[in-house]
Amino acid sequence: MPSTPEASGSAVQREKGPAPALELRSITAGYPGRPPVVRDVSLTVPAGESVALLGPSGCGKSTLARVAALLHRPDAGSVSLHGAPVTGWRYRAPRAQRTSIGFVFQQPRTAADPRLTLADLIAEPLRATRAVPRRDRAAADEHVRPLAASVGLTGDLLTRRPHEVSDGQLQRACLARALVLRPSLLICDEMTAMLDASTTATLVNAVESYRAETGAALLAIGHDRPLLTRWCARLVDYPALPVPASAGPRPPSLRETAHHH
Amino acid sequence: MTPLQPEPGGRNPMRTRVSAGIVAVLALAVLSVPLFFPLDQQAVNLRETLLPPSWEHPFGTDGSGRDVLLRCVYGLRVSLFVGIVAAFGAALIGTAVGAAAGLLGGRTDRFVMRIVDTFSSVPHLMLGIFIIAMFRPGVWPVILSIGLTHWLSTTRIVRAEVLSLRGRPYVDAAVSGGASRIRVATRHLVPAVLPQAGLAAVLLVPHAVWHETALSFLGLGLPSHQASLGNMIQDSRGTLLAGDWWPTLFPGLFIIVPTLAIAGLAGAWRERLNPRRRSELML
Amino acid sequence: MSPLLSVRDLSVRFTVHRSRSRRRVAAVTGASFDLAPGECLALVGESGCGKSVLASALLGLLPANATTTGNALLAPAPPAGDERALTADGTALENGRGLPTGPGDGPNLPTGADAGAGSGSSLPTDADTGAGSGPGLLTGVGAGAGSGPGLPTGADAGAGLEGGLDLLSAGERVLASRVRGRLVGLIPQSPAGHLTPVRTIRSQLAETIRELTGVSKADLGGAVLAAAERAAFPADHLDLHPHELSGGLAQRAATALALVGGAPLLLADEPTTGLDRDLVDRTVAELRGHVGTGRTLLMITHDLAAAEQIADRVAVMYAGRIVELTDAASFFGSPGPRHPYARRLLDALPTRAFAPIPGMPPELDALPSGCAFAPRCAAATPVCTTDLPLLENGVACHHPHTPIPHPGTDIPRLSDHPEFPADPAEPASEHPEKNDALHS
Repeated sequence: MPSTPEASGSAVQREKGPAPALELRSITAGYPGRPPVVRDVSLTVPAGESVALLGPSGCGKSTLARVAALLHRPDAGSVSLHGAPVTGWRYRAPRAQRTSIGFVFQQPRTAADPRLTLADLIAEPLRATRAVPRRDRAAADEHVRPLAASVGLTGDLLTRRPHEVSDGQLQRACLARALVLRPSLLICDEMTAMLDASTTATLVNAVESYRAETGAALLAIGHDRPLLTRWCARLVDYPALPVPASAGPRPPSLRETAHHH
Repeated sequence: MTPLQPEPGGRNPMRTRVSAGIVAVLALAVLSVPLFFPLDQQAVNLRETLLPPSWEHPFGTDGSGRDVLLRCVYGLRVSLFVGIVAAFGAALIGTAVGAAAGLLGGRTDRFVMRIVDTFSSVPHLMLGIFIIAMFRPGVWPVILSIGLTHWLSTTRIVRAEVLSLRGRPYVDAAVSGGASRIRVATRHLVPAVLPQAGLAAVLLVPHAVWHETALSFLGLGLPSHQASLGNMIQDSRGTLLAGDWWPTLFPGLFIIVPTLAIAGLAGAWRERLNPRRRSELML
Repeated sequence: MSPLLSVRDLSVRFTVHRSRSRRRVAAVTGASFDLAPGECLALVGESGCGKSVLASALLGLLPANATTTGNALLAPAPPAGDERALTADGTALENGRGLPTGPGDGPNLPTGADAGAGSGSSLPTDADTGAGSGPGLLTGVGAGAGSGPGLPTGADAGAGLEGGLDLLSAGERVLASRVRGRLVGLIPQSPAGHLTPVRTIRSQLAETIRELTGVSKADLGGAVLAAAERAAFPADHLDLHPHELSGGLAQRAATALALVGGAPLLLADEPTTGLDRDLVDRTVAELRGHVGTGRTLLMITHDLAAAEQIADRVAVMYAGRIVELTDAASFFGSPGPRHPYARRLLDALPTRAFAPIPGMPPELDALPSGCAFAPRCAAATPVCTTDLPLLENGVACHHPHTPIPHPGTDIPRLSDHPEFPADPAEPASEHPEKNDALHS
């Protein structure tokens, strides 16, 4: 993979004080056998700030989010986190780098292991990184309880499995899981797209109070302009991709674009 | 099917209950009858050959004057033993191989799947006969032959399941939470496929039973004096032409009814396994 | 005029096993409402409030661990000769055109003219309905249907729907052969999952048309085109498979399927979830267009902005109960919701205060004896924790915001609370005679 780590932090560090929490440079990414969904996209999230990435569904912004969260290796381009270049993705990313990002998915139902209780779900990163002993339930509880309370999860909800709670309750747990390792960057990929107004406001409030407490940066991705305008300091419109004339099967979003505009 | 129809509920409690009843009665018979009615496998009674069903011999007697009911129960006992051990052995192999292929992916996966394809291209029975031919007749060669030829389907099921789970967002979430490859496998993937693998094993039991009876029927399975359902049908083929149906019919039923009942229970289990993607309360 | 759908005292209970004990979950309790032909009722609420369960109950799609009580009478066929459906205050809603025929009326093939009419000409705009049901009519247009909302007596409702089909007691066979697709069309939450992935939209539409209308083979091609056009599904995309469609087009394909049988009642279950805002707007406008052509729409949604755009009336659900049932214009505009929960829900919108409601909805298997919202309600008084408020005059609250003067009410008014100052221009008082008429 043509990764270009040398194009990273130092230059940026000279410009401003702290290195940006996230810097994506000329990212091109996609899936095997298909034209890339993300083409030559650059994005910077300054340390401690909140940036909203706004774009229609299917435009590739979720893929970009996965690249930024070190979950999907781009075909080209470079990523740096707090000035440190990223050299590997998924299991190949150093654990400390991976866990410095908290990631919240759009669909809590698919993002939760159906066999774990909500308490175990939230504590899973603690156990995976051995931040608490794997068998020590009390130690995990000490971390989980206050965090769960901060997203509005209380009492016996924590002993339930995903199929016993609603989408809104499950997404609260997923946000708590993303926060449990105290990440310095939070990426919310359409976190509230499936949720009602009240749960949305609760989750956004929880994110903002976490950020106020820790100074973490935020990249919020979505298509709801009123929400993201209210939520984030900076709004970035996702670059609309040109319709490739020669490309074979076009991505679905482009069909829609082609037809209606 | 129009999209307006409801999702298939598919539950059939009656079938489940009947299946469970049959399996329970037969399991009790198979376990308890030998305690009260010992069977001398070699004994014959030439004065009572081919008696039709009566109070004394509810299933009649066969060409050597042996009680068909008693031999059916003993035959089922041996068939179920062979079937269960072979099926679970096969499922174990299949799960291990399939999980390894799915988890490691890449070259390992391709190599394993080519082996699976190669095994699949040879008919089970032929391969089974080949394996049996290497040993003296007995129960264990039959188990070995069935077990070694039936792990392929489980491998495919487990591999496909692991591959589909590997792409789930919850695996991404685990990776993002710092989980190692091994932890993702042992904590999130393998436990999720175990019920499927167990179901595959149970579904293999009827298949293995049929395989055992087929081998015995061909004279390649259990020693011919031993009460086995395949042997009994093989022995009574001649008498069927003379109109004496009972020595053939009852062993045949003893093959079909229990295996259908086990398949019925497995079906009920499969419905319960349906992943609960949506909230149970539909909320 | 009789309602198309009359739901009375609908309750759904689930039996679930949780930590080895059996529990009864009250997913929906005592829901009563009417749907007049040609109107759109939006059922809104937080996730887990029971609104989807209610929709599933109406379609007989609840899982086996659910038990349903009450009734939901569906008019056997659209009222004959009823060219103009009157709302409470005499505004005519155009729904004569394109009035769907019932089952057994033979092929219900949309002609070109019909489809043309459907696309816009008879679309009642928001201004239309808004102007018709002026301020002060808090009990909503459904009152004209003969049985006011919030009167869960059921007696007069039944009279209005003699010969109607009770969706809750109908067996699976009746539902499958007569109701789904023919009387009630379902517009699903995730259209992509609702379409068969391996078949083209054309073949799925053709099959559904054949199944529901019995159109001859020769006319099938034309019928497919007409059906696609009705839902604004582009004809040149008919030969695509569902995965090749964008969210918006998949939604239209699913809508086209739902419209095929000419069902007078459309039931949309979160039709805008996961769609972009402009796609939401478009989907909502299209659904609104179908309502204009004489269909009746029950839309289940948590998207308040979408509900505001489409609904004539709004029902707010909380903890399995309808806590407010009112006219959409007054709910979203002035004077606003009357139930404290509904007010807080609107305030949670990012375009308004963006303030979350503190706490969480109560567990549906351990509902309090009083008002379920009392623990989260700033205006709660002791009576709220002991007495369950019933839906009266469109609101189930002991201290509704801007209550309608009501003889025999001695409950302290919200204006006594410093947090909720009374609206100086209380519109309810402007039409005392109308309100009295509704209450008598």
